[in-house]
Formats: sequence, C-alpha cells, structure tokens
Amino acid sequence: MKRIITGGLLALAFMVPGAQADDSGWAPEAFVLDNGMEVVVVPDHRAPVVTHMVWYKVGAVDEDEGKSGLAHLFEHVMFKETENLGPEEFTTIVQRNGGQLNAFTSWDYTAYFERVAKPQLRRMMELEAERMRNLKINDDPEGPFISERDVVKEERRQRIDNNPGVILQEQVLSEFWKGHPYEITVIGKMDEVARLSPEDGMAFYKKYYSPENAILVVVGDVEPEEVRVMAEDVYGKIEPTGTVDGTRKWAPVPLLTKNDRIVHSDPKVRQPSWSRYYNGVSQVRDRHAAFALDVGLEVLGGGMTSRLYQALVEDQKIAINVNTYAWTGLHDAGPAVIAASPVDGVTLDELETAVMAEVRKVLAEGFTDAEVERARNSLAASAIYARDSQSTMANEFGSTLALGGTIDDILDYPDDVRAITTEEAIAAVRQVFAEDRHYIEAELVPAEGDQ
Amino acid sequence: MSQLKLIGGAIAALALAACASQPVTETVEQTIVETVAPPALKVDVHKGDFAEIQQFVTPGGISVWLVSEPSIPILSLEMAWKGGETSDPEGLEGLSESVTYNMNEGAGDLDSLAFQTRMQDLNMSFGCSVGRDWTSCSSSMLTDNAQDAIDLIATAFTAPRFDDGPFDRYKREAQIGIKQRETSANWLASTAMANALYPDHPYARQTTAESIEALTPDLARERMRQMMVKDRLLVTAVGAVSPEDLAPMLDKAFADLPETSALDVAPDVVLPPAVPAPIIVDLPQPQSLVMFSGPGLARKDPDFFAAYVLNYTVGGGGFESRLMKTLRVDKGLTYGIYTGLSTSDHLNTWGGGGQTKNESAGEFLAGIRDELSQFVADGVTPEELSDAKAYLTGSYALGFDSNAKIADQMMTIRQEDLGIDYFDTRNANMEAVTLEDVNRISAQYLSPDNFTYVIVGEPEGIE
Repeated sequence: MKRIITGGLLALAFMVPGAQADDSGWAPEAFVLDNGMEVVVVPDHRAPVVTHMVWYKVGAVDEDEGKSGLAHLFEHVMFKETENLGPEEFTTIVQRNGGQLNAFTSWDYTAYFERVAKPQLRRMMELEAERMRNLKINDDPEGPFISERDVVKEERRQRIDNNPGVILQEQVLSEFWKGHPYEITVIGKMDEVARLSPEDGMAFYKKYYSPENAILVVVGDVEPEEVRVMAEDVYGKIEPTGTVDGTRKWAPVPLLTKNDRIVHSDPKVRQPSWSRYYNGVSQVRDRHAAFALDVGLEVLGGGMTSRLYQALVEDQKIAINVNTYAWTGLHDAGPAVIAASPVDGVTLDELETAVMAEVRKVLAEGFTDAEVERARNSLAASAIYARDSQSTMANEFGSTLALGGTIDDILDYPDDVRAITTEEAIAAVRQVFAEDRHYIEAELVPAEGDQ
Repeated sequence: MSQLKLIGGAIAALALAACASQPVTETVEQTIVETVAPPALKVDVHKGDFAEIQQFVTPGGISVWLVSEPSIPILSLEMAWKGGETSDPEGLEGLSESVTYNMNEGAGDLDSLAFQTRMQDLNMSFGCSVGRDWTSCSSSMLTDNAQDAIDLIATAFTAPRFDDGPFDRYKREAQIGIKQRETSANWLASTAMANALYPDHPYARQTTAESIEALTPDLARERMRQMMVKDRLLVTAVGAVSPEDLAPMLDKAFADLPETSALDVAPDVVLPPAVPAPIIVDLPQPQSLVMFSGPGLARKDPDFFAAYVLNYTVGGGGFESRLMKTLRVDKGLTYGIYTGLSTSDHLNTWGGGGQTKNESAGEFLAGIRDELSQFVADGVTPEELSDAKAYLTGSYALGFDSNAKIADQMMTIRQEDLGIDYFDTRNANMEAVTLEDVNRISAQYLSPDNFTYVIVGEPEGIE
C-alpha cells in the first residue's frame, strides 16, 4: 500500500472534473452539519459498497517557513495512534472489516479515505471522527514519529530523487512558483523533513483538524438522508475547536519576468526531452478562462490528433512525442506546458526551433470549429466516464469543495466546457504563449560522456 | 469499400449460425440484413453473489459473458485471445506488440489520423496490448453510440491497414524504449532475475534493436491473423446493453477473423535451485531496489487459496503484513515492501520487493530474510490468519463496483478457466483455509534460501 501525494509533482495535472450524464436518476447532494462540517453524498447503487472520505482544508501551502513537508508527514502520522486506538490499530480495524484505506496530501488539501462494504460505513465514520479529535503523537526521540520521518525520506527518494525527469521538474516548478507557497514540493525538502518534530505535528493538528475545516464525501450505495442521519450522529457531536481561522496562504501567481533555462544532466537519462513552462490560469480563479485554455491546449497538443503531434511526429518526424497541457486544477495558477522529445539525431535546439515554429503557425492560423468541438466533447465525455469509478467521483467532489467550489461546479462542467467557443479557445492559447510572455525552458539530457 | 465488406461479413455470420440453430434464407443480397429475423439467442443466466452474468454464444460463434448494467451510460468491452509474445518468431521479438500497437492506427478507408479522429468523435476508446501468454483488446464506449463504436472496432478487425507511417512510428518508439529500459530499475531487476532462473526459456526473450528493425507491416498483417482468431476469442462486457443487442454487433466485428490457427506452445519453466548470493546490478541512484523470487503455486493448485491467504500476512496485506510492519513501520527503512503470487501458463512464482536507500541495502536484505525465516520457524498466529481471511473476503465486493472492474474480473476468471461460479465460491474457499494449511505452506515455500535476490542500485553492506 502506498500513500499517494496527488499534488506531489505530477498528478494534479491530470485532474479532470467530473459531471452528470444525461440520465436523470443521478442526484448528488451537499449539506452542512451544525458544527460546520460539509457533507457531499453521491449515490451509486451498482454494488453494495461505499467510498468514505474526509478532506481537510489544509495542505502544503499552509506550512510555516522551514517546515516544508509537514502537511504530508502529518498525514502519515494520522495512522499512528489515538486516545482510543492503539499504535497502528486504525489500519488493523479497517482491514479487518474488509476495508481499503489510504490518504494523500496536496498543496491545497489533505484527504483520507476508506472503501468498505456498506454495513461498515458507520464504523468508518467513527474511526475518522476519533482521529479528527483524539490523535496522540508519540514524542519518543526514537519512536514512531521519527521512524515515520525516515519513511517519508525514503518516499522522497523513491518518488523524486531516483527519477531524473522528476528532479528536473522539481527544480523548474520551484523557479516557476518562486515566492509562492507552491514553490516547495508537497513532500518537502529533505533537510527540512529531517528536522520536523512531534511538537510541529501536534501544533499543526491543533490548528487545522476540526470539523469546520473538514468535508465528508460518501459515494456509493447510500441515499443522502441516511448519510445525513449517520453523519450528524457521529461527526455532528464533535465540537469545533475554534482555532481554524479559514485563512490559507494562497496568493495570485505573478507572471514570470524573464526567460530561464534549467538543464539537468543525469547518467540515467537515455532519451533527452525539452519543455517550456509558461504562466497558465486556474479554474478556481477564472473558470471560463481555464476551460478555454484546456480546450485550446487539447486542440494544439492534446493527443495524437492534435496539431503539434500531426506536424512534428507524423509529418516532419522530428519528435518522438509532443504535447501541451496546463495545470488548471490547483487553487492558484499553475504552468501551461509545451513538451517534446526528439527522434534520434535531432538536437534539443533543433527540436525547440521546430516546435515553436509550429506553435506560432497554429496560433496565427487559428483553430477550426470542428476540432474545437471535438476537444470540447472529449472533455465533457470524460465526465461521464468518471462516473464509472467511486474513487474518481469522490476525489472530484472532495477536491472541488476543498478549493471552495460547489457540487454545481461539477454538475455544470459538461455544459460549461461545451460553451467554450472556437474564438475563446484560440484566444486563451494565444494569451498564454504570447511573444511577450516569459517562460522557463527545461532540458533533460544524458550525463556528459554517457551514451 | 470497407462498408460493403462489413455487410458481407455480417451476412456470412448469420448464415453460418443458421446451420446450427434455425433456418435462415441463404441470400447474399445486402438488403437481407434488415429482413432476416435474428436467431433466438440462448442465454444462460448465472445469478451470482457479485454479478448476474449472462453467458451466450453469438450466432457467429463468439463466446460472451455479459453483465447488463443500466444505471450508467457506459459499455466496457474486453476481448482476449490465448497466445502472446512468447510465440513471436526467433529474431522477430516485438512482432506481436507491433500488431497490437497498430490495431487503432487505421482500418478500412480510415488512415491513422482519421481512425483516431473517429474515436474522438464517438468519445470512445479502443486499444490492444500483448503479454507473454495473452493478446487483449479493450474498449469503452457510450451506450448512446455503441453501434457506431463497435462498427469502428469491426473495421479494425476486418480491414486493418498497418500503414508504413504508424508502423515506422512504432519502431521508432520501440527503439527508444530499448534504450530507456537500460536505466529502469524494475526492468533491470526482472531481466536479471529471468536470466538467472530461466535464461533459455521464451519468457526470458527480449526485443532487441535488431529484432525491431526486422519488423515489417507484412509480417504484422500475417501475425495478426495468427493471434486474433475466432476459436480462441473470449469476450466480456458490462454496460447498458442486452445480449440480443450486443450479439449482432460483436458478430459484425469479428466476422472476418480466421477460424483458428496454430501457435507454438512454450514448455513449462523448470526452476533451478535459488542463486545463493544476491545478484547486484549497478545503477546510479540513491536507492537500491531489492527484488526476490522463488517457486510459487499454479492457480489450480489445491493449496493456492492457502498460499494466497498466507501471502496477506507475509507482504500482501499492506500495513497488516509483517514485512511492512517490521521494515517500514518499526525500522523506517522503506516506503513500501510487498510480496505476491505470480501465475502464468508456464511459470508460477512467489516473490516481492521494495526500495531502500543504498546505505541500508544490507540491513534491508537481512530484514527480509529474517522475516521469511520466522514464517518457516513459527508460521502465523491464529489471529493473523483470521485477520487475513476477514480482509480478503470482506473486501472482495470492492472489486465489483464499476463496469470496467467487473469486465476485467470476468475476463480473468475466463482466462484462468476458473468457472462461472468462481466469484460465488471464492470467499468460501478462503474461509476453508486452516492454520495447518498456511503453516505447512510457510515451511514449504518461504525459506529465505528458496529465493533468488536481485539488487539494483549502488547497494552497501551486501556480503
């Protein structure tokens, strides 16, 4: 079992909002308990199982200076021990009840989940309620907090330090978000993680873990009313701590002010790659602009049928791959990226020249209505396919609410994305890749003398 | 052009079926398609605990397991044929993969771009892949346009193009893959393991720059007709569709496949004794990957369930497994360590792996060996056994909560030939496992000396 960090470095780029199909029987509901805890229920009666999640509106953005990695390490510690549960007993109870469980941390939120047969739902609520309030953190200098810190260091090596492409991406994103909390990757800096203490963990817990800062999401074989009764009974009894002031360290991301180039050479690299990171937009801050950008980048470089792929991979045979995408799902604006990898015998400089020439050509020509419609429909249809997975649905509802959105944001997604016009799609792409916009160029190359 | 061929194919299928069941006018005029009454379909319904499976053979002879699921407008379709990369000719490693890569790269009148565009227009996916023993295709579609989606899939099977453009692209990508795998820790570990344990078996064969270079579209066309044949085809489907609606669509899709073919069958692997010393493969990175592998059990071995239950406590149960408790929770040596049973046609293994910083590789390896030794010496406790059974049986329903998962699950039991009641009897088989069973199997399989260890990285402290 692995703890996933969706915000770690990669995963949020692929977050696709889900939405309602045309069938009328599907009716997600949202409500708020008296203590401020939000609740979302998404009925899905295909199997007698439920996905139960608790989301907290706290993530790596909220860490103090020098405490990078705390939100994520703390998430690991939530599995350790409470006043009424012995060390590691949380997991034992869930699995003994036939449940699967895990958790993940992003810059924007932290989420915990259990997937169980329906009769176990109440027990899962009781367990999450217990650790929302009664966590114990062992301060033994050789105890479980310290060994968990070592686990996170191994996790960092496994996710980032073993992988040249991810090492480069971490450097680029750090430069891209310089001065913004996203500047540091969710898992944190190795030396700062190594200095985190049990006291840091307890202070973080006391400040952020409270019902008014939490969202309950239940997807599966339930009706909203039965979840409401159960949630009021279990979570509704928890008094708010009153320590959550609701402020987050989110901030607008300023435009890059100069071009930069970051090269990472590594003996493990066997295939070079090139990419450019421009300033993008976020759905939270400008929903319509973000959807226009998503649609536009789908047409420009979204897949095999895209303009760039057809020109550079199929016709010119200069690239082995090329694509464009934007991280529009974070609270604050992430990058809009053009990425490519050359065929043998083509240098990264030649590749860059060819890719950017093609980008300029497409931006000058504009898109056709047919290709924009196709892109819009693909994005809208992804919302229907998302409904096949309880976990996907739970993640979409939870993350949307954690960023301050509503269930209507999800239900309206297909209509909203279909409302993007050809003019809006091309305008969004022209804006982010405009000649007067700056960028960071990233190059991954084999180590000198290698190959 | 391709439309005509398709219609012809559909008529042929109906006519063939007619001989077996009920008389149908044997006319080959195209208009007959609309006027022929569809032959009554014999559907065996298996009302199981986890799924209601409708079993039928289409008039065209395709064997299908279908779960009708009306509540969500998606159809998941899985297809599989026995036979895979293992039967690629010597020197043409990669041939089967070149076939599966190209199955959605153009068919009939549609070149690669047109085919991909058509898939996007229909908001569907269709793609194929190949493993050692099986060739598979998978598709998701919206039920609103399932007919059009399956018509497109039909062109891929009846008139695949294997155009030079996408075929050469496959070769370019494969050549880069061959370079990139040289620094993949997992590839290096499994390759070293294969070379140590069964170097001369087809399972150990790899693509090479030369074998990829030798591939041609003509070879792929010929190979496709060997891989994808009617009598080895298994189909599973889940979605808002009835057997009566699905059967003619599938018959149209598969009408032109050859009836049968002969494929080379590989011999079973005979595992040698474990390699005594760890095999070390250098790779410049901060962590060492430790992979271990030893003899396992076949899927139909009477002890398989007991081994499966035991594996939960060894390294299959996440934080409830002993390897995880000791090496991650207590010692902080790794982010994760797992074990699992691997089964295939000719080789069954029990193995596992995990990663640790290079400095602690020796301690990590010793820890693995030590835990395995304790299973041999003391077995598991009654509480561990009951926890394992509780999880494995209690969580089984979680694998049936989506169309895609159910289609996959059905395909697995079809491929392994476990029987249509497998889902219903599986938990009882788990429950029947006794402490004596698991402890006997512990002693038989889990001695640390039964395993060969491969370490990839720059490990320290390995003797």
